[in-house]
Amino acid sequence: MQTERRQFPIWLWYALLCIFWWGLWGFLSKIGSVAASPLQMQILFTLGMLPVAIAMLLQMRGKLDRNAGGIVYGLLSGIVTGLGTLGYYAALRDQDASVVTPVTGLFPVLTVLLAFVVLRERLNKVQMGGMLLALASIVILSI
Amino acid sequence: MIHWMAYASFAIVLWGVNGLFMKLGTNRVSARSMVIWVTLGFVVLLPFLCETTTLFGLSARVILVGLIAGAVNGLGNWAVFACLEKGAKASVAIPLTALYPLCTIVLATAFLKERPTVLQWLGIALAVAGGAMLSYEPAAATVQEEQLNCAQ
Repeated sequence: MQTERRQFPIWLWYALLCIFWWGLWGFLSKIGSVAASPLQMQILFTLGMLPVAIAMLLQMRGKLDRNAGGIVYGLLSGIVTGLGTLGYYAALRDQDASVVTPVTGLFPVLTVLLAFVVLRERLNKVQMGGMLLALASIVILSI
Repeated sequence: MIHWMAYASFAIVLWGVNGLFMKLGTNRVSARSMVIWVTLGFVVLLPFLCETTTLFGLSARVILVGLIAGAVNGLGNWAVFACLEKGAKASVAIPLTALYPLCTIVLATAFLKERPTVLQWLGIALAVAGGAMLSYEPAAATVQEEQLNCAQ
């Protein structure tokens, strides 16, 4: 049986692209947060996302997928991310970023656990090791 | 008074659950549609944010930087949805893309003349190694072997 040999799968390219865009977002946030409060930045982020969403809609010629489950998960994704960010800012009022950020950076652990239970995803041993190293680096880089 | 750890835990739970929502969403609609629905989710919170604070007093430069940051964040959202849409496991894509501070440090080093500390260099090394290991999927040969075993 022929199997396509993919040493560098397409999803990995998108993951690297995401790291680049979010990395640039972190960089610009760093510049902006010198003068603006976190909540002001959050308003600007939301307004800045609108042109991207409109461009996507135009690119799709208005043919937006309307699967009810997809809509609910999409809306929830935006709402919980925004609310989580507000929780993060609230924690920053009482504690230094060098303490709060490494703690909140552990959120992928919960995603991995939920994906294990709900989506029945399984990581191989190398990936498990990679996740532990990634978590250690997230904590270190956010101190 | 609520302890800061309660707020931090709140963020962990919501961001952690979000990873699941992202995968469940991209299982049902396209990455581009997800960007639109997620953006609308952020817009839902806008009235609350505007009640708490205003943009009054911010310079045009800061506003522009914030808006561009939002736009690139949106592009990052599209990329992670495309990554999940193309078959990445949530348990791989979410920890992997959470390594984005690595890119922030590189940009800050290049453009803000910041120099990484020894500890940050260690973090960078761990991120690169961890990222490479996370993206490791068994080679085609192993898949063929598994299929043979299944056939037997």
